[in-house]
Amino acid sequence: MDKLNSIEDLSELRARLEADKELNEELQIPTIVIPAGTCGQASGANDLIRVTKREILERDLAGRINLCITGCNGYCQMEPLVLVEPYGYFYPRVSLEEMVRIVEATALGEAAEALLIEDSETGEPIRNRSEIPFFKKQVRTLLAKNENIDPIRIYNYIENGGYSALAKTLEKSDTNWVIEEVERSGIRGRGGAGFPTGLKWRLLSKQPNGGGKYIVCNADEGDPGAYMDRSVLEGNPHSIIEGMLICAYGTGATEGVIYVRNEYPLAIKHLIIALRQAYELGLLGENILGTGFSFDIEIVRGAGAFVCGEETALIKSVEGFMGEPRQRPPYPIEKGIWGRPTCINNVETLANIPIIINRGGAEYAKIGVPGNTGTKIFSLVGKIKNTGLVEVPLGIKIGEVVYDIGGGPVGKAKIKAVQTGGPSGGCIPASMFDLSIDYDSLAEVGSIMGSGGMIVMDDSTCMVDVAKYFMNLLKDESCGKCFTCRKGTQRMYEILDDITKGNGTLDDLEILEELAEVVLDTTMCALGQTASNPVLSTLRYFRHEYERHIVDKRCDAGVCKDLVGAPCQAACPLGTEAWRYIALIEKGDYEEAYRIIREPNPFPSVCARVCHHPCEDKCRSGTTGDEPISIRALKRYVTDTVDPEVYKRPFVPADDEAAKVAVIGSGPAGLTAAHYLSREGYKVTVYEADEKPGGMLVSAIPAYRLPRKVLTKEIDSLLNENVNIELNTALGSDITIETLFKDGYSAVFVATGAHRSRGLDIEGEEADGVYPAMAFLKAFNLREESLARGRVGVIGGGNSAVDAARVALRQKDVESVTIYYRRTRDEMPAYHEEIEGALEEGVGLETLVSPVRVVKNKGKLERVRFIKNELGDRDNSGRRRPVPVEGSEFDVTLDTLIVAISEEPDTDMLTDTGVEISKWGTLEVDEKTVATNVRGVFAGGDVVSGPNTVVEAIAAGKKAAEVIGRYLRGEELRVPPEVSLPEVYIEPAAVPDDEPAEAYRVSPPVAPVESRSKGFDEVELALSEDNARHEARRCLRCDLEFTQVEEVELAASAEES
Amino acid sequence: MVKFTLNGLEVEVEEGTTILEAARFFGFPIPTLCYNEALSPYGACRLCVVEIGEGPKAKLVSSCTYRVEEGLKVRTASERVIKARKMVIELLLASCPQSKIIQDLASAHDVRRQRFKQEYEDCILCGLCVRMCEEQMMAKAIGFRERGERRSIGTPFDIKSEECRLCGGCIYICPACQLRCTYTEPEEAICGGCANISVPCVEKEQFDDMMCYMEPCVACEIIDSEK
Repeated sequence: MDKLNSIEDLSELRARLEADKELNEELQIPTIVIPAGTCGQASGANDLIRVTKREILERDLAGRINLCITGCNGYCQMEPLVLVEPYGYFYPRVSLEEMVRIVEATALGEAAEALLIEDSETGEPIRNRSEIPFFKKQVRTLLAKNENIDPIRIYNYIENGGYSALAKTLEKSDTNWVIEEVERSGIRGRGGAGFPTGLKWRLLSKQPNGGGKYIVCNADEGDPGAYMDRSVLEGNPHSIIEGMLICAYGTGATEGVIYVRNEYPLAIKHLIIALRQAYELGLLGENILGTGFSFDIEIVRGAGAFVCGEETALIKSVEGFMGEPRQRPPYPIEKGIWGRPTCINNVETLANIPIIINRGGAEYAKIGVPGNTGTKIFSLVGKIKNTGLVEVPLGIKIGEVVYDIGGGPVGKAKIKAVQTGGPSGGCIPASMFDLSIDYDSLAEVGSIMGSGGMIVMDDSTCMVDVAKYFMNLLKDESCGKCFTCRKGTQRMYEILDDITKGNGTLDDLEILEELAEVVLDTTMCALGQTASNPVLSTLRYFRHEYERHIVDKRCDAGVCKDLVGAPCQAACPLGTEAWRYIALIEKGDYEEAYRIIREPNPFPSVCARVCHHPCEDKCRSGTTGDEPISIRALKRYVTDTVDPEVYKRPFVPADDEAAKVAVIGSGPAGLTAAHYLSREGYKVTVYEADEKPGGMLVSAIPAYRLPRKVLTKEIDSLLNENVNIELNTALGSDITIETLFKDGYSAVFVATGAHRSRGLDIEGEEADGVYPAMAFLKAFNLREESLARGRVGVIGGGNSAVDAARVALRQKDVESVTIYYRRTRDEMPAYHEEIEGALEEGVGLETLVSPVRVVKNKGKLERVRFIKNELGDRDNSGRRRPVPVEGSEFDVTLDTLIVAISEEPDTDMLTDTGVEISKWGTLEVDEKTVATNVRGVFAGGDVVSGPNTVVEAIAAGKKAAEVIGRYLRGEELRVPPEVSLPEVYIEPAAVPDDEPAEAYRVSPPVAPVESRSKGFDEVELALSEDNARHEARRCLRCDLEFTQVEEVELAASAEES
Repeated sequence: MVKFTLNGLEVEVEEGTTILEAARFFGFPIPTLCYNEALSPYGACRLCVVEIGEGPKAKLVSSCTYRVEEGLKVRTASERVIKARKMVIELLLASCPQSKIIQDLASAHDVRRQRFKQEYEDCILCGLCVRMCEEQMMAKAIGFRERGERRSIGTPFDIKSEECRLCGGCIYICPACQLRCTYTEPEEAICGGCANISVPCVEKEQFDDMMCYMEPCVACEIIDSEK
């Protein structure tokens, strides 16, 4: 490399390089770009590079295809990835064989169609990377450069406009111009605190230049999950050198230091190469480009202490001392390294400088919002579809980054918060995703911008655990100088640890808050002053999670091991030991398995068919990347196989003295309560308004999901001489709470369910032929009346909509059935397999439509006017709101319309009884005791919660029985919370050597469409014994972690002796 | 000279004076633990925090390390200061309850409970001994090691420093570790100064090259009482 002796030399070199580039473009030589930053290399980019080189040589393509190895391009989720320029083809997750095909296609000037990235919604290949949703909303001024610069070739940088900003700067003799330009740009420090860079430079320029001034590039990026600086260091090191040179020229600094952590070996390697090249070309050192301006840069490697990112600690570390912050003032700008004026800037800030100089400060200030200009790179990680580095203009909304760029949650999970700013930052709840991302807004809500980490959390993230995680990091990474930071973080960790283990008290929260505030107040540096943020922000927005851990001893996210035990058991509202019966199935002990299933659940066969199986949602086999165990199907196998008689309990007949309890409603909640109360020796009468017992089980759930024989048998098994059922007896008309007490009942349990369908609230709704879903289902299920005929429309997307549609389809006068839903199919709340089943049977589905009017003819339904919707802004749940498209109305001729948008409890008959009713029509009860405000009256099930699942209703009934028992015995109503961890040790399955490593989820068989869609035979069938035992073997046996401990200890102690 | 406001009082001190020095000069008491007039201020114990500034910009700083500035407004005993100070003492008490100095502080500041898990540490890492060794004894025999929870005072790799003259200065100045001079395990003593071997200081001839700074030394008291 020849040294450049003047600015003209540099221009000439650039002109030469650009001419070469243009020639390439004219010849239309494609370039294969392989990003090989640390992330790319970790996922195999180096092998792709090897294969590409080999293919180019073997096929003699040298000169016809260029290969460019670059730094990270940001879309880390898709690594190793390949770009082909100038076409913009984007190939994600490329394997070695696929790489060969890409080279082949590129040689022909084509795209390897099958390997192109696909649109996640349509499945169509995306032909240009600018069309990829991940890139669409980004403004990639920095990251875009990573895509076409080979970081170890300075010529490559110069060819792409590199060092032109330096040339422009050196041409001005007025150094003040540089500072003014940076001030005009409005850029604020990207390290997190957001101090205006221009002001910092001005302060430095005013310092006396006795023994030299320092510029430090702070590349000590230590936040967990944040890699923005690394990607710039690795992908574009010259931009940092150029930024530092410009700063030095403007401020009169003479020495440069890049303080980079030793954990970034590739970044250090690229920096060393870049520095050497810059020195060789005369862009660094004495008399740069013959202008008389001199500047040196050296690399100082940090040992990786988090605190060394703090500027005064960093200075100590550069000087060779222990990284410990000191009191400011004096600020480093006055007294920094070796007492000399020192200006410390973040990597990203410096990388922005050449862009500011080239574009002009005023032009740069147009990006972003006033006061927060320019772009910022964020490291988007966590529970989100697209992880990677995203560069966005400041002022963008959090929601846009999370949903539009990040692609939203993985699967059906719900995003609940985002954590910004690393350990010093805070958690921002999803309800505040409208917040603009800028320094000031984030600080206002208790977080910070920080260096740009953005960790997305969903409902499987425990916020107490998050706070504990960060506190654990901070207690290790505090330098330890300030007593309150060292001890404070340690004490906060101790308290949080106690809470996650179920040993916390509500007083702890007070201490925690008090301590957090004192730590924030009394520490010397920013590490301590922000160390409380994770605790304070989670306490502020997620206090209920803390309280849940402390009061109820529950971790709903299923994270805190000592409260959760086996996730399947913890997820079950009844606490069913799923792991235990699965282990017993594997052993072939089905009878014992039945007892385990039956003990906590009086409706085992019902739940084996219609439970929404929260156990499977939390199953660790599913949450760790595989598919969850088919727990419900296994339960079904056992309940189908074993005679219920194997479960026996001694029965206590009620004596004449026994207290009497009235249960109103014979649904799962009511019958469960009656069952458990009768077991205790109380006399129970169940009042049912309809003609059959079972509540929703019989009136709403169709027989093809829950055969009536199974249901009747199960209900009958719960009746004994202590329980008496009175059918056709409705609360309000036949009995009242008052009369019940007069008749000698000591307690009343109201479990009347939610049987009233909500109306559409549109014109013409009262027409003949329009039925509320519940009325329609009840007519058929209880009285075998078929109300549907001809063309049937069903409005709604929940389970009652799908049930109604499939029942209608089975009625004899029906021609066709279509479900009309206002959002998209992915957002339908009905169970996936039910929707699937309905569509297979021939039910139509129209999405993104809402009814606006029912058109009548002589009082009868004739047609329904719909309007089309499009998806608009996101609501708090992260789902996009359906927005009607003006003028898109259309009519559908229908003979029957079933309205199934939602159900609500019918509590009109209770309005004058003094029982408190909420504005949603549900009964108000004390959450912990299910007691209403009227003494002796308790309530549970859908009438309290609104429409809910069967298993929740059973749980409510069970809880009511326990509380009512306590009430009758005159005890404290509240049931003390207890943690149930697996206790029984069951030997794990032996794995023979020849067992295949891969095993797949066995789903239960379903009856063929032809035979099922006209009748009411059960659709889902039972597993075979082989399949059941095979599926049971897949269980990861989370219980062993708790039950095997002793064995391990025993073995250890045996070895010792 | 620098003019500033101290608890509402307009005062003037020489440039370079710390808030602590100024406050003590004007008679406002500020408790300290890691401060010693003869050593450079370090700001580790956070007991001497005072409130400076006004409104939303008001903040707490350690008065031993913060130099007064023109126009600064200082409050040495505001509600915020007292609250912080009490918490610091509570934390100290939770870690090192056996130190007489800490007990006295707690009693003087009306800290009557401590709500954390009780520890019995013999070092609060105030760094007085490190500064004593470096600044007064010119030895630099001991220093800080590790960070965060694992931070401790000692020599590299726990090898006895050749610089150590067994002067005992570190023990003399320690606010927490009176315990240390009654150690029965000599290897656990920081410099081995007046570490007690069997009954300490009895076999004086073994420690001819040793100066004792403890006054009164617990060991000496024992010996005296036995006479």
